Amino acid sequence: MPRPERADITFSIDGREVRAPENIMLADGAKYGDIEIPVFCYEPKLGNPVGACRMCLVEIEGIPKLQTACSTPIKDGMVVHTQTARVKEAQEAVVEFLLINHPLDCPVCDKGGECPLQDISFGWGGGRSRFIEPKRHFQKPLELSPLIAIDRERCILCYRCVRFSQEISEDYQLVLLDRGAHTFVGTFDGHPYVGPFSGNIIELCPVGALTSIAYRFRARPWDIEGAGSVCTLCPAQCNTSLTVRDDRLMRVLARQHDGVDDGWLCDKGRFAYQAVHSDDRVTRPMVRDAVDGELRDATWDEALGAATELLEAAGDRVAGLAGSGATNEEGLLLGRLLRDGLGSPDLDSRPRGAVDPDELRRLAAPDLQASVADLEFAHGVLVLDCEPIDEAPILDLRIRKGVRRNGVRLAVATSRPSALDPIAQASARFAPGHVVPFLEALSAALSESTDGEDFDRLAQAAGTPPEDLRALAGALRGEEIVVVYGERVWDGAGAAWLLELAGRLAVAAVDGAGLLGIPDGTNGRGLREVGVLPNAGPGLAQAPAGRDSPGIAEGLANGELSVVYLLSCDPIRTHPDQQAWEAGLAAADGVIAHTMLLTEGIRAHASVVFPAEAAAEKEGTLTHPDGRIQRLRPAIGRPDDVRAEWDVLCEVSRRLGHDLGLASARACSSEVFASVAFYAGLTLEELGGRGVRWPTRDAAAALPQAPQASRPPPPSGPRSNALGSPGGRLLLGSFRSIWAAPEVEVSPALKFLTREQRVEISPADASTLGLRQDEDVLVFSDGDRRVRCRVEIRNAVPVGSAFLEAGIHAGSAESLSGALVRIHRAMSPNGAGGADAMPARTGA
Amino acid sequence: MSASLLFKGIDEPGLNTLKVYESRGGYASMHRALRMPAEAVLDELLASGIRGRGGAGFAMGKKVSFLPKGSIDKYLVCNADESEPGTFKDRELMQKSPHMLIEGIVIAAHAGQLNHSFIYIRGEYSEQATILEAAVAEAYAAGYLGDNILGSGLTLPLVVHRGAGAYICGEETGLLDSLEGKRGNPRLKPPFPAIQGLYQGPTLINNVETLCTVPHIIAMGGDEYAKLGVETSTGTKLVSVSGHVQRPGNYEIELGTPSREIIYGLAGGPPEGREVKLWFPGGSSSPVLTAAELDLPYDFNTLAKAGSMLGSGAIIVVDDSTPVLDVALKLAKFYRHESCGKCTPCREGTNWTVKMLERIDDGSATPMDLDIMASVQDQIIGNCLCVLGDAMAMPIGSMIKRFRGEFEAHMEAAQLASSAAGSSSALAAQGAL
Repeated sequence: MPRPERADITFSIDGREVRAPENIMLADGAKYGDIEIPVFCYEPKLGNPVGACRMCLVEIEGIPKLQTACSTPIKDGMVVHTQTARVKEAQEAVVEFLLINHPLDCPVCDKGGECPLQDISFGWGGGRSRFIEPKRHFQKPLELSPLIAIDRERCILCYRCVRFSQEISEDYQLVLLDRGAHTFVGTFDGHPYVGPFSGNIIELCPVGALTSIAYRFRARPWDIEGAGSVCTLCPAQCNTSLTVRDDRLMRVLARQHDGVDDGWLCDKGRFAYQAVHSDDRVTRPMVRDAVDGELRDATWDEALGAATELLEAAGDRVAGLAGSGATNEEGLLLGRLLRDGLGSPDLDSRPRGAVDPDELRRLAAPDLQASVADLEFAHGVLVLDCEPIDEAPILDLRIRKGVRRNGVRLAVATSRPSALDPIAQASARFAPGHVVPFLEALSAALSESTDGEDFDRLAQAAGTPPEDLRALAGALRGEEIVVVYGERVWDGAGAAWLLELAGRLAVAAVDGAGLLGIPDGTNGRGLREVGVLPNAGPGLAQAPAGRDSPGIAEGLANGELSVVYLLSCDPIRTHPDQQAWEAGLAAADGVIAHTMLLTEGIRAHASVVFPAEAAAEKEGTLTHPDGRIQRLRPAIGRPDDVRAEWDVLCEVSRRLGHDLGLASARACSSEVFASVAFYAGLTLEELGGRGVRWPTRDAAAALPQAPQASRPPPPSGPRSNALGSPGGRLLLGSFRSIWAAPEVEVSPALKFLTREQRVEISPADASTLGLRQDEDVLVFSDGDRRVRCRVEIRNAVPVGSAFLEAGIHAGSAESLSGALVRIHRAMSPNGAGGADAMPARTGA
Repeated sequence: MSASLLFKGIDEPGLNTLKVYESRGGYASMHRALRMPAEAVLDELLASGIRGRGGAGFAMGKKVSFLPKGSIDKYLVCNADESEPGTFKDRELMQKSPHMLIEGIVIAAHAGQLNHSFIYIRGEYSEQATILEAAVAEAYAAGYLGDNILGSGLTLPLVVHRGAGAYICGEETGLLDSLEGKRGNPRLKPPFPAIQGLYQGPTLINNVETLCTVPHIIAMGGDEYAKLGVETSTGTKLVSVSGHVQRPGNYEIELGTPSREIIYGLAGGPPEGREVKLWFPGGSSSPVLTAAELDLPYDFNTLAKAGSMLGSGAIIVVDDSTPVLDVALKLAKFYRHESCGKCTPCREGTNWTVKMLERIDDGSATPMDLDIMASVQDQIIGNCLCVLGDAMAMPIGSMIKRFRGEFEAHMEAAQLASSAAGSSSALAAQGAL
């Protein structure tokens, strides 16, 4: 779907000749002539105009009736009047109508001072009402959800929230109930409006009808300041505007950036700011007491001294891990500390095994990079082994927008049923952990005849019905194809097969086509590019090979490594194979951690804890999955004894006798731009508030070239037995929900969303195993590792697969290991074989 | 002068069955039309000059010619949601001669090259819907609906869909939303249904009577049909006459017949000893006319020139026994109840108008309220998303203009009555002391 190209035309508005792009709506076109036409229901982000509020009536020469500017496309030679007596009369009439049932309780309304109804009444209204009858009454305020209060008396029925629910998030929960003057907004089934994007309706509401319960009565517009920032809670890196009162974060609003977020935020981004001021936050350095083994508060000097001591003693037996929220600057400094200061090559920012650096270089090639906006205009989008709504929620909305408005053909290829399945032209499931065989089969489906037995065998090896693969390949015809994939695809030989797929789809040659990889963590791409990798340095340059994440866990456990430096990272929480990390951290001589919250791994194992900055306090840069480098700027001051990470890393380096010579955050950013070859020449000023995509800059040519790739190796390891469930065992897949984050757990507003572990299985497997919905079960993997949870029977789950949530506080999928699991009732009905009994082998 | 085209032999027993309908020459026009090229059928419709019988009076042939060409899914929707107060002509047509409608639909579909058709019938017309469904089944069995009708290559399924009883679903775009399974709210126009209607496809929407006329146009030829009536209002029209007349009912007239002839001649005029006070010429949403305008010829343009409209062709007569306030209040309450609530002026304006009229009735209004009420009607007219708001504001506005004296007298009388009631209760209270 090519992007619309619009030629400029000239039209006249209030006597001014104005040039504006043809066919944009008059309400927008008027702005080109510095004329404001008041609107309530019109919001271009919500799609087609509805013309409901009638606020934007204007006079157009040649048309007898007044027209709504929100729905009239501008044409060459059009003559528009917005100031005539007729228009004025209509505008005053609409304001009068809107206010007759509005309570005008502005002094106690949160919206007061930033309310379009106030502004428009003042600017375009008649100033008085002739309505003397009693107004409409509703019970108020009501909880539309635990996050949103609804005041139906204030509602002017502009449809924005309902349209958001129906046409943007497509959750279809909000509707207008009753009709005429009795109309009110509510949910279809009367249940609370809960969804990952519900908070957007607060921002959309042009009156005080929908207010944030977390922000209610906390501040008035004249008490607050806004600060542009970037959300660091997931790789989508939405642009935000932080509301600050007295140096405290009060609220997060969207800061529209069409290249990133399209002006939306998810509820995690909107409400998890509460973690910044949480009582659970670490605000002072801590060291582990030698006597009682507990973490206790310390001075910076003590903590830095303890850390230096540990590092000096360990020498090059130190490893480093950078977690998802770390900035490019922090990542670069960690690399300097380890590689240059301590001589250790063992650092990683990816939770799983290393990927061949040449594959990484090939995957970073500028002509392979798709931008976020490409999702909206591509001919086809393939969602491969990721769940956008959980991993980068805002991309889910962007994909929906493309499908709904531009007819993008969507293909979904995942193990776990996807939220995008209902709007996909084709969906295919593959067995958990079988993405590589799946890619081999998909490549075959895209290139060869798909009739033969060979093809069926390839499909079977992936656990995918051959007809689903054919349908998927059918949906991927067209020139501009964007592949959105989770970086876990790279595991095994996946990176090579992904490049093979990119070749088959010819995405490199076409503008608007490409790959968009969603990393495991927020700044996964940036940390990789500044060299937090076991096999590549800053700018993906050659570097001595070191241990990757699993290797570090092993090295710590077997004593080859002695100290681990955790930069905003708790591997117990975020990395696969929890047991290996438990063992590794327990065996380490020292664990030095920068952290904002004492997550379980840090609490149990850290020797030294440095309090970390919150994103709202940080200065630095991040790199978006599509290569956009974005800037973080401090909106509030650091609390208590918190010091900037860059400062602490420099200080540790200096104490180790390796002065990095960096005296400010700005200097650190310059150092990043100087060290990463393809970031060369960037400045913070160039990044500004919108960021810059490095693949579109000339310096992108400095990306190190990788030798020509050969055909990827056929998938190794055992082929799938996914089509059956041998011995009652199921293939385990894991997923990380949008809500699985420590920030969510400590944000009071989001508490209600923390979920208990559930194992998702198919109805067929449930019946074979004799399990019922909600039943209490134990999921066993290798050895005696187990997770206790409840059964969730989902029709869409393929037979032979089971899914558990990862990244959660208790009973996370990471505590299991191995591909196959067994599920057993936690308590047998007759009381025998209690929760701790070892399972009897169920019949095959 | 009464004419007979649609109503010719309408009361013949069993006309609703295929057998009787065909024995009277039914479906002959369809046979003939299907042998003609689509363009030729369209030409006949254009030549006939027939204007839509649903209310807006838009030329039907022109509407068909607006449909985009090309082989995409195109829809024909028959608007049988006859909900304009005072209108009951489509009911009689569907009840007594359902095959005439089906025949008209098939011919119109051929003319517009449409390949799906629906009859959206209001839920209250349960009996008529049952009759229609039986007729549709007969037509399918006879090969007049479905695949490749009479070997002409025209494939046309027909679905009878029952509405749930909302006035707004008679508005064409509200009807489309409702037919799609959504809340029946009007859509923004443009795009007009001919370009983007049902399921986003090109859609021809016509009223029952309009489609029922189509077989007759084909039978007699468009030019011949155009000779009936007057220049800008060709053909015959079914008029539903109700209210204070001695013989209420449906009458078929040639357009241009003097209104007095319809009200007094056909319907017998008001009961003995009473005079016509006001009359709605085209359903409850048309601005009212007075006895002085009874001699106007009953056609589209004349009535428009007189400040009203022919609308759905429903004449409601109100005689001097009824206070104009009662009429206004009844009307305003109907439109308040039926407003969908989507656009501001209609939602708030209908509600406000009812409240003001109620105040006139209970004696708490002042003459200034009449000015406010008139100005509120002006604020509604032309500013709404669809015509429902206008449908209340136009008649109410016309009543205030034409009967202001009566409103003021009513107001005064109500004030006196309420102050008398107030003082007598005050006296009673004193007495109790």
